[in-house]
Amino acid sequence: MKLETKLTLFNTLSKLVIVILFVLLLPTIIKNINQNFADSKLRKQKNNLLKIIKSSGKDYAYTSYTPLKEEYYSLEEDTTGEHLDTIQNEARKIEGDTIQYRILSFNFMARNKKYLLEIGKSVGTIDETTSPLQNMAFYILIGMVLLTILADQVYTNYVLRPLGLIIKTKLIGRKFPNFGSYVEVKTSTSDFQYLDISIHKMVETIEQTFQKEREFISNASHEIMTPISILQSKIENMFEREDVADEVKVRLLEMQKILNRLKSITKTLLLISQIENEQFLKEDKISVTDMLNEVYEEISIRLQDKNITYEQSVPQNWTFVHVNKFLLFNLFFNLVNNAIKYNRENGGIKIIGTQENNLFVISVIDTGIGIDAEDMPYLFNRFKKFRQSLQQDSFGLGLPIVKSIATFHQVEIDVKSEKEVGTIFKLNFPSQLVATGL
Amino acid sequence: MNVLIIEDEKALAQELEFFLTNYNYKCEVCFSGRSASERVAVNLYDFILIDLGLPDYDGLDLLKEAKKTNPEAACIILTARAEVYDRIKGLDLGADDYLPKPFSLLELHSRMQAITRRKFGLKHHIVELGNFMINLTDRTISYQTNIINTITKKEFDLIAYLILHKNRTLSRMQLSEHIWGSIVNNDYDSNYIDAHIKNIRKKLNLYAQPDWLETVRGLGYKIKINA
Repeated sequence: MKLETKLTLFNTLSKLVIVILFVLLLPTIIKNINQNFADSKLRKQKNNLLKIIKSSGKDYAYTSYTPLKEEYYSLEEDTTGEHLDTIQNEARKIEGDTIQYRILSFNFMARNKKYLLEIGKSVGTIDETTSPLQNMAFYILIGMVLLTILADQVYTNYVLRPLGLIIKTKLIGRKFPNFGSYVEVKTSTSDFQYLDISIHKMVETIEQTFQKEREFISNASHEIMTPISILQSKIENMFEREDVADEVKVRLLEMQKILNRLKSITKTLLLISQIENEQFLKEDKISVTDMLNEVYEEISIRLQDKNITYEQSVPQNWTFVHVNKFLLFNLFFNLVNNAIKYNRENGGIKIIGTQENNLFVISVIDTGIGIDAEDMPYLFNRFKKFRQSLQQDSFGLGLPIVKSIATFHQVEIDVKSEKEVGTIFKLNFPSQLVATGL
Repeated sequence: MNVLIIEDEKALAQELEFFLTNYNYKCEVCFSGRSASERVAVNLYDFILIDLGLPDYDGLDLLKEAKKTNPEAACIILTARAEVYDRIKGLDLGADDYLPKPFSLLELHSRMQAITRRKFGLKHHIVELGNFMINLTDRTISYQTNIINTITKKEFDLIAYLILHKNRTLSRMQLSEHIWGSIVNNDYDSNYIDAHIKNIRKKLNLYAQPDWLETVRGLGYKIKINA
């Protein structure tokens, strides 16, 4: 669940609980308030009445009530001996009706007589405001809750926006390994500032490490090239000498073969690091068919051995634009070379171009031995050799080259494979790399 | 022809000298940029081989100097720095060719030959092999009066390379480096050269047996031309 939703949900729920609690308590509170209010009113009335009685000087007994029996007064001689000054709920029978009153009872002495004064207010009148008050309070509260939820929603949305921005620009938007420069996400929330700077520092560390690795590979490869060059020249010169016996020359060739292996690995690593350092331009334009024909020309000799058929069906009007020809050539060469190497006798290779939505898809399909599902995730790893790669003459850098060239051109690769049936490498070229004009 | 080899790796410079002397070039060797700078100011050369990564001198500066004092010389850059940028810069400054290390000595020779042919404008460079005529300029093979058009580009490259290094045994590796050298390849198998040679023989056999194309057992191939 999103943080924003969570916050809003929590706000809503907590407010609802508080409102419900308050509304449930409301009758008791209002009843209390009303009673206190009624009691103080009764006391005021008592004082007023006492003043009237004392000033009039008459002695009389008196009972009266309002026509709707809401209020009730009585003054009579008190026969009991005890002192009374209480306010409590009691029932009184008036004209045959028994009505609950809040009654103030007070006895006092006047002119040697003891009087009992009772002032009552019907409980019904006291409580009649409770229910409308409760309703009103309920509506007002609900309205306020809705308003605060809306305000919360807007505010959380506003306050959390930098978080979304950080995730979008600093984490998702980043394309490994080229991170670009640091752009501060504008926020006054210190937590987000901290998060932003922390992510930036982390990314910087990754970038530096990566950069160091690339530099190392590049420098190491260059440094290795010179000694290889010397060795190769020495072997070549020795190979040409007439005073060297043929048995020795055969051994020189074996040395040369091992040196070649070292050379290929170094060259390949250097190429990959150069691609990853973006040391290639993407300014070439070439017809797809022409490029595939060139690949075929270089590689056709390898089909002969296993008698593999080769078929190519890519629309004639497709042209690669903004690409590096040398790199793309190597990409296709390595893919087709693999398709040959892992093929069966009398197998086939098909290269098919199809347009899918915005993508130009070039598939290299072989009838080879296939790839184990468990090996799939490691397919593009450097120096990863698989059990089924029977040949000892490869060193597991063909697909890493393919991968880095594809990534350099923003081409996605999908691999589908079925054991003993074949493998499909689908290259998804974005539309800006392929022109269809004539 | 006079060649100046500018290379700070002494062992490599010596091998270059040994190889080129063998091919009848007159070589001088400089191990430092400063001595090379003095040398190009005084002498005239046909070829100047420059290693770009000299410790005491910027290789590209040296190239500029050499071009000024030796405008006729063909400059070939030898470098372990295979960056595209250097490549463009080097060719812009008038380098005639560029060989990334490690390179095969045969390849160096073939590039030098190509430059020589270009400079002296050899119109018809035709080699006669048995009854076959090989025209290295037009890149055609003919038998008596028929042009054989079944030979592919790769196959012709192989024949031309063997002719250039005639009477020497070239290993399969040397041949495949020439044919597929620019491709960054996953494997180092050179058996495909055999397939090419087999195809060439099959195609030529329709006319006559190409005895001049010899297999040297265990070592490689050679084309014999009696001078």
